[in-house]
Amino acid sequence: MDITLQANGAFHSALVHLESGDLFKSDSGAMFRASSNVDNDVTTISRGGGILAGLKRMAGGDTFFLSTFKTTDGGTGEVGVAPTLQGHLKQVDVDAVQPWLCAGGSFLGCEGHMDLNPRFQGLKGLFSGENLFFMEVSGPGPLLVGAYGRIQEVEVDGALTVDTGHVVAFESSLSYTLTKTGGSWITSFLSGEGFVLNFEGRGKLLVQSHNPREFGGMLGRRLPPRRR
Amino acid sequence: MQLDILGNPDYGELAIDLEPGEKLQVESGAMSRMSPGLELRTHLMGGILPALVRRVFGGESFFMGEYGGPNGGQICLSPGLPGTVVHQHLENSELVLTAGSFLACTSGIDLKTRFGGLRALFSGEGAFVLRAQGTGELFFNAYGAVIEKQINGSLRVDTGHAVAWDPTLDYSIAGMGGLKSTIFSGEGLTMDFQGTGRLWVQTRNLPATAGWLSPFLRG
Repeated sequence: MDITLQANGAFHSALVHLESGDLFKSDSGAMFRASSNVDNDVTTISRGGGILAGLKRMAGGDTFFLSTFKTTDGGTGEVGVAPTLQGHLKQVDVDAVQPWLCAGGSFLGCEGHMDLNPRFQGLKGLFSGENLFFMEVSGPGPLLVGAYGRIQEVEVDGALTVDTGHVVAFESSLSYTLTKTGGSWITSFLSGEGFVLNFEGRGKLLVQSHNPREFGGMLGRRLPPRRR
Repeated sequence: MQLDILGNPDYGELAIDLEPGEKLQVESGAMSRMSPGLELRTHLMGGILPALVRRVFGGESFFMGEYGGPNGGQICLSPGLPGTVVHQHLENSELVLTAGSFLACTSGIDLKTRFGGLRALFSGEGAFVLRAQGTGELFFNAYGAVIEKQINGSLRVDTGHAVAWDPTLDYSIAGMGGLKSTIFSGEGLTMDFQGTGRLWVQTRNLPATAGWLSPFLRG
């Protein structure tokens, strides 16, 4: 399986070349083109049903439905995927040792045999109002992430505080705690920086230049109210 | 202080290395990442009553964050809208900013909100403007690309597109081409700037984006 990133810039997309027997998983809805010999199987990754799975789905702000693509006739095929928002994509080559954690809204796709494991951020994550669900992606294989805006790779060595809305993905060697920015909860909320993640350790971290939630909020205030 | 603007003109963001003790005033919510030694203090701009009035009439951000720390550190700021970040050095001078365009300034700059008068209600920029005054570094952001124009005389700008201007400029709200075109063209109201000075104009405007999107929303 080979992946090429196309049209770098605000409208980045990825083209996945499938050999016979290759599998590619993507966030369902990310596919925008596929060869006619490519078949799509939709699965969900929530473990167990019930209330918890539903909550997870809510908290993720993301459908947990995955599409798995493969060619049906033993030939080669192509699948093109793109995120909803404008911005850059990045391919992360996950090795067999170190899984990556990917913010729910940033996961675009990965090689089809890679293991995906949702990590829910608990009540705090739910109340933070942010997209706080991480997908643990275990390698080896390529992982595709999308961002709102520009993606920057940061080498964390020590500690770094990142607004929850700017986290795209990070190596699992980094530990993180969800917390507030200021000295008190009040300061933190008043400043508009509700929740941040404090990263510690050593590892790679991908951040996006813009916060989709903030953009949504600014736009939303100017839209007509929803009719009931 | 070392500063770096990344990602212009599409996804501009600002990275600043603060020296020990140095302070930065930041638009509330703009911090995207920072090193752990930095602390945040928030305050109301101009006190409680003006802030309340602004909230009611302008819907603008109530609070400012102040970041700094005894050992300094790096902070990155990102505007809510994708576009361009502009840096201006003020030397005992003043600049007028529309309310949504302020990003950050160093502590030598004093920020005041001013009610823009009745005309401001029609400017598409909110009823209040910010006046940045003093000596230091000022950063503001635009939705889309930004165009800096030197005005000698006058310039007409569509409402919603003005970002910042020298206080030597004055503006009035005007209708372009009479009532009929005001109602039907969408180019109706304009800000007519007069005088001599610089004006920064943004190439996109949020009310227009929202206006385009609204008919597609389903209740």
